[in-house]
Amino acid sequence: MRRSIYAGHGTWRNFGNLGLTEDEIEEEVENETVQLVRELVELPSRACRQRIRGLPMNFNERRNIRSQVFSAKLSKKSRLPTCCTDFSEQASRSFRRFGAGLVTARRFLVIWQNTLKEIGGTFGTSVLSYFQFLKWLLMFNVFSLLINFCFITLPQIIHAPNITHATGFRGLELLTGVGYFNQTVFFYGGYDGEVIETPPPYNMQLAYFFTMAAYFLLCGISLIYSMAKSFQTNFVLHSASVSGGAWRLLCSWDFSVVNEKAVQHNKNNLCVQLKESLSERIQRRAVLSLSERMENVARHLLSWLISVLLAVGCCAAVYFLLQDQVVSNISQDPDNLVTEASTLAVPVVVSLINLVVPLLFSLISRVDQRSNPRTKIYINILRNVLLKMSILGILCHHWMTDVPTSVSCWESYVGQSVYRLVIVDFIFSLFGSFFGEFLRNIIGTKLIPSLGVPEFDIATNVLDLINAQTLAWIGIYFSPLLPVIQFIKLFLIFYLKKVSLSMNCQVPRQSGRAAQMQTVYIALLFFPSYVGALSLVAYTVWSLKPSELCGPFQGLSRPFQAVQDWADTVQAIPGSQWISWIFYNVIKNELFFYLLTLIVLVLTYFIWQVAQGRKQLIRTLREQIANEGKDKAFLLNKLQSTQKQRRPSGISISQDVSTVPSFTQNWMNTFPLDM
Amino acid sequence: MGNKQTIFTDEQLDAYQDCTFFTRKEILRLHGRFHELAPHLVPMDYTNDPDVKLPLALIVNMPELKENPFRNRIVESFSEDGLGNLSFNDFVDMFSVLSEMAPRELKAIYAFKIYDFNVDNYICKEDLEKTLNKLTREELTPEEVNLVCEKAIEEADLDGDNKLSFADFENMISRAPDFLSTFHIRI
Repeated sequence: MRRSIYAGHGTWRNFGNLGLTEDEIEEEVENETVQLVRELVELPSRACRQRIRGLPMNFNERRNIRSQVFSAKLSKKSRLPTCCTDFSEQASRSFRRFGAGLVTARRFLVIWQNTLKEIGGTFGTSVLSYFQFLKWLLMFNVFSLLINFCFITLPQIIHAPNITHATGFRGLELLTGVGYFNQTVFFYGGYDGEVIETPPPYNMQLAYFFTMAAYFLLCGISLIYSMAKSFQTNFVLHSASVSGGAWRLLCSWDFSVVNEKAVQHNKNNLCVQLKESLSERIQRRAVLSLSERMENVARHLLSWLISVLLAVGCCAAVYFLLQDQVVSNISQDPDNLVTEASTLAVPVVVSLINLVVPLLFSLISRVDQRSNPRTKIYINILRNVLLKMSILGILCHHWMTDVPTSVSCWESYVGQSVYRLVIVDFIFSLFGSFFGEFLRNIIGTKLIPSLGVPEFDIATNVLDLINAQTLAWIGIYFSPLLPVIQFIKLFLIFYLKKVSLSMNCQVPRQSGRAAQMQTVYIALLFFPSYVGALSLVAYTVWSLKPSELCGPFQGLSRPFQAVQDWADTVQAIPGSQWISWIFYNVIKNELFFYLLTLIVLVLTYFIWQVAQGRKQLIRTLREQIANEGKDKAFLLNKLQSTQKQRRPSGISISQDVSTVPSFTQNWMNTFPLDM
Repeated sequence: MGNKQTIFTDEQLDAYQDCTFFTRKEILRLHGRFHELAPHLVPMDYTNDPDVKLPLALIVNMPELKENPFRNRIVESFSEDGLGNLSFNDFVDMFSVLSEMAPRELKAIYAFKIYDFNVDNYICKEDLEKTLNKLTREELTPEEVNLVCEKAIEEADLDGDNKLSFADFENMISRAPDFLSTFHIRI
């Protein structure tokens, strides 16, 4: 009978060919078990449980080991009187059950569990990643909504519920955000910066500032943590090409797909990919001649030139439109519906650009024939990100430089502009779904069958989500309840995309690389999107003069002044000198940030050197494995030739047979797998 | 926590929680699924740990496994006798390893077992050919199958013995970051 057991440091032993007796095997197994239990007893209980869960033996053996470990731990603690150990044992058990109950409750609160399972089962993991990304963005908005509502809006509503409306409610407000909504708590202008005197005194200015700061800080930490975790699991060093046949065969089959048609589809895809890779292997790639290489370079340059010109053209169009727009008309004449509707011109143009130009980019990329599909996707994403971020940049520049000088309650104006952009963006994504997927499906199946059913374009959709979230982040400071709109928008987009997916699209062909793309998307969410929004808000808080007549920071030279004044008052209170010390020497002192940056750079360099060293080590070890393999082959050949020589002289062969395999077997299995 | 259920004792549920990646509620739900595969065989009361095994044919009819090309191998790898007869503990074990919380090393060990059709602790060329046939449903010609398997072994085999040991397999898995998310069955 063949037995395999797991040994403590990660090797996988095979006793089958060693020729040991049954009793010897039993003894080995028991020794290994005792050693494992001894190791586990040393660990703290949570790490111990994680280790037990990860043991690759069947359930009964694991349960056995667990009971041995627990009784060993109990006997270790048995120096205390029994009532104490009983009590601590019961306490820890009930605490663990409570923790598990919390985890179950949290999973109950998780929405869309079944829907996601259905989507993953039919369309595979890469499409599912889009929906999971959407759900993750939803969480950001829910959190923001909760803290903004509790700390800023609720006190404002309770304290000053009288709002004067300039006009009655007309339907157009839902699109433009002005008029009826103008002085409500929806926008910055609806808040005042008084100190609410109910004991304890609640300073609205500080509340506004610190709520925003806390939200952005927590967002940043969450993003950096997700990015680091995703990078760690998904970007591994590949010295050889990863897209080879072995990988595709053994690692890429999606086990979570349960729908029959989808499984059939995946099988066909795999077949096609394998045939392609075989044909690539058969026709050796010819060395490109000079003229062909020049032609390739010319094509690349041309496509980049056209894309950049297109992007610059769009930005210029938006810029001139903004300059033309009569900024102060709205506050002067709130009843004029036409001027109010004309404020929608900029959002419509921006959304139209965001919808149409990516399609043009994908057409342009056909001019530029790259063979590597991965590079194609990255270049496409880069162009789209450049376009979207430059348009947002133009808008932000307008809001930061032109608007504060020409509008009286300019923060509300900016909040309303962002609101309009968010709403119109949502309407256009409805249209985009309709035209992009529904009509394309009709065209592809009925009118031009050669086009086929459209695929769900993950990259474009994720970039749209990132764009929407950037707008939401920019708008939070100027419109604290904007997360409500963003939440509703994302909620509806989820169902819209799900319906569109099941009615119109098929499983995407290139289904690999989902994990690496996930890291790229999170990185994009962090770098241009979050950092951009944060710098905008930071610039507003640090340098811009808040409007005189509305908002919580009226009368100050800049919003940060509120915190400075507070730090001064705190200094007067005896015993809290440390707060003002931190404020003056850490936050306001530039030297601290220089030192911090220097330390981070040194650490980065050090870690990079360690990584280089490890790469070299892996290379050397790989050569060593190859050499040892050759040694093994040589030794086996020598054994066979020696046996042939010795056979005529009649010495028993069985002894030789048992010694050499055990030599190679033990050596093979003691090779360290964790480097 | 106040749930009056009589299927398992509290100690049993604690043991399941500590030894698998599931919570109490999920274990009870799994028991429900196991029961509905064979209601007359599977008892509702597991407090005295009955030894009830369900045959392979019943388990591979579950909707999560029905369309999977490797369903037979998956169930066989988790059964104690190697023939696919699963007790409830093996059933829970199987879905625990295939859940999204299991670590990469554990999944790699069982993936290796699944792809090792002749159960000799190596993935040899015949194992790869069988895998390929299951994944493509005979749309490739025998020469193409041969070529692909040779290429696969050539890429992954580090020590030159023309078959993949667990070390070779794990090395290849480490270069495929998608493996964790694709080797996953939701229940």
